Amino acid sequence: MKFRAKIADAACLNHFTRVSCMVAKLARTCTLRIRPHTLNFILADSAAGGGVSMWCELPQENFFSEFQMEGVSEENNEIYVELTAENLSRALKTAQNARALKVKLTNKHFPCLTVSIELVSVSSSSRMVTHDIPVKVIPRKLWKNLQEPAVPDSDVSIYMPVLKTMKSVVEKMKNISNQLIIEANLNGDLNLKIESELVSVTTHFKDLGNPPSASENESEDRSPEQMAEVQVDIRKFLQFLAGQQVNPTRGICNVVSHKMVHFDLLHEDVSLQYFIPAMS
Amino acid sequence: MLKCGMSGSQVKVFGKAIQALSRVSDELWLDPSEKGLALRSVNSCRSAYGCVLFSPVFFQHYHWSTSVEVNGTKSNLNCKLGMKSILPIFRCLNSLERNVEMCKIFTRSDKSKVVIQLFCRHGIKKTHNVCFQESQPLQVLFEKNTCSNILMIQPRVLAEAIVLFTSSQEEVTLAVTPLEVCIKSSTEESMDLNSSVYSEMFVGPHEFEFFQIGVDTEITFCCKELKGMLIFSEATHAPITMHFDFPGKPLALSIDHMLLEANFILATLADEPSRASSPQSLCLSQKRKRSDLAVSNSKVGKKDNKAMESISRKVAPRNLYADEILSNISTLENSGSPIMKRVNSDTEEEPGSSSLRKVKEKH
Repeated sequence: MKFRAKIADAACLNHFTRVSCMVAKLARTCTLRIRPHTLNFILADSAAGGGVSMWCELPQENFFSEFQMEGVSEENNEIYVELTAENLSRALKTAQNARALKVKLTNKHFPCLTVSIELVSVSSSSRMVTHDIPVKVIPRKLWKNLQEPAVPDSDVSIYMPVLKTMKSVVEKMKNISNQLIIEANLNGDLNLKIESELVSVTTHFKDLGNPPSASENESEDRSPEQMAEVQVDIRKFLQFLAGQQVNPTRGICNVVSHKMVHFDLLHEDVSLQYFIPAMS
Repeated sequence: MLKCGMSGSQVKVFGKAIQALSRVSDELWLDPSEKGLALRSVNSCRSAYGCVLFSPVFFQHYHWSTSVEVNGTKSNLNCKLGMKSILPIFRCLNSLERNVEMCKIFTRSDKSKVVIQLFCRHGIKKTHNVCFQESQPLQVLFEKNTCSNILMIQPRVLAEAIVLFTSSQEEVTLAVTPLEVCIKSSTEESMDLNSSVYSEMFVGPHEFEFFQIGVDTEITFCCKELKGMLIFSEATHAPITMHFDFPGKPLALSIDHMLLEANFILATLADEPSRASSPQSLCLSQKRKRSDLAVSNSKVGKKDNKAMESISRKVAPRNLYADEILSNISTLENSGSPIMKRVNSDTEEEPGSSSLRKVKEKH
């Protein structure tokens, strides 16, 4: 198993750092999958995580000027390692003024992802910084749990409003109750509802637009006004929103009535999918 | 008895000093003398000491005098304040700098109170009465000029290094050779999978304003107190000088400025007792110990009187949480010959052992 890669461009480095920070906000420990052309940050759903799962994919060529990998074997040319996401984001954040950044898989007493940074100091001389991030290699038998989730057949698919607005609204709602109802229809309406004994608050987002539906059946059977709703834990939704520092290039919310909500975001060339199950 | 005043921008520096010292301990001594106003702080396990001495010319006005007790003895202001009381007064330093026109600090001779008055814009006057505890300030004796290794560096470079280390990582190792300096995470035990990230940064000799390495060494100390020093140095824009030797001997971080002098002295982890060392240290558990700082109490009485003797003890390398048996020994002016105690603590006599020296004047 071998992995070495280099980022030489400042913009690419900043983008990669931002992605890493976003992942760190969404998951404490996650899996990094390395393939010849893509990198994935994966959080598989688990009881411990409350059923939330995440799938983030980046095309490696858009970030790394050099990229070499050798997977576990010829047929399985992939590497799966588990790490604490924050360790990576912190290490990358120290590379603000770096001339170059190299990442490689090493084995120093135990497997590490070593990040070597060449910092430029004021006197224009280089300073070397190294971070050894401990990782755990995931054995092949567990790979099946870490595959790309299938896009669910949603009842309603809708474009998301500005995330910052959603976040400020939901943050206030958190004080009322833990259960948030997300409902949407094919008319471009999205509502966020929260209820307690004394009060119920609904925020209406209108004219959001719906992406063209994949299947014909969806648009036929469903009246545009009919809402598909799902009740989720508000904290999980907030955690998802907290991870988004900038508004995505494109954001789609897919609601599967009473089952789950699926967020499909695209931040330039990085795609992020986030699944929150309905509360039982 | 203390009476001094400063302008808005001086308050900012003063406040930064207090913030830096708050990283060392929860208590602060206000120790005025003819040399100026010293703020001192020692942490509970005696492994870190900070002192910022503001010279009289730092202030707009500065008056200090000893008070005369009932029985005729003269006493210094032995004033110990809680950080909790004084830190909130100096919060939001940027707004203080903008709004405060004058800050007066004085002590009331009748009550154990320090009064801090902030005269702000628009005629607003804020008065804080802070009670203090009567307590003789402690100071650390450390001859930093005898250290073999002296490095002077701009605080920005150190700050860049320190930011690599997460707050969960308490200890940092500084490894020096004549060719390079490396700041890295301290690796006490063998690292395992759940350990935190190991980071290291190399700094070349040319980045230092002064670079003298007499002995190759690796010293390990607490990051937290270094951060405190960095906070303060950024406010003064002065370079930091580091004086150190071999592991176990304290590390001194100092800033020498026209108007003030800051010294932070941190204990470093001592080596395993495999070296030729005292029998006492062998009795302890095998874990590395911080060697505690030699601390003494400042003296009572005027300086121009007899040569002031400081009594000091070298404290044996001990378990970090052992009780310190530091007694308040003071020489009284009219007591005649000074009392001198040399406590035999079975420790090795290190070359140039600074702590057993008599000091003629206050640090």
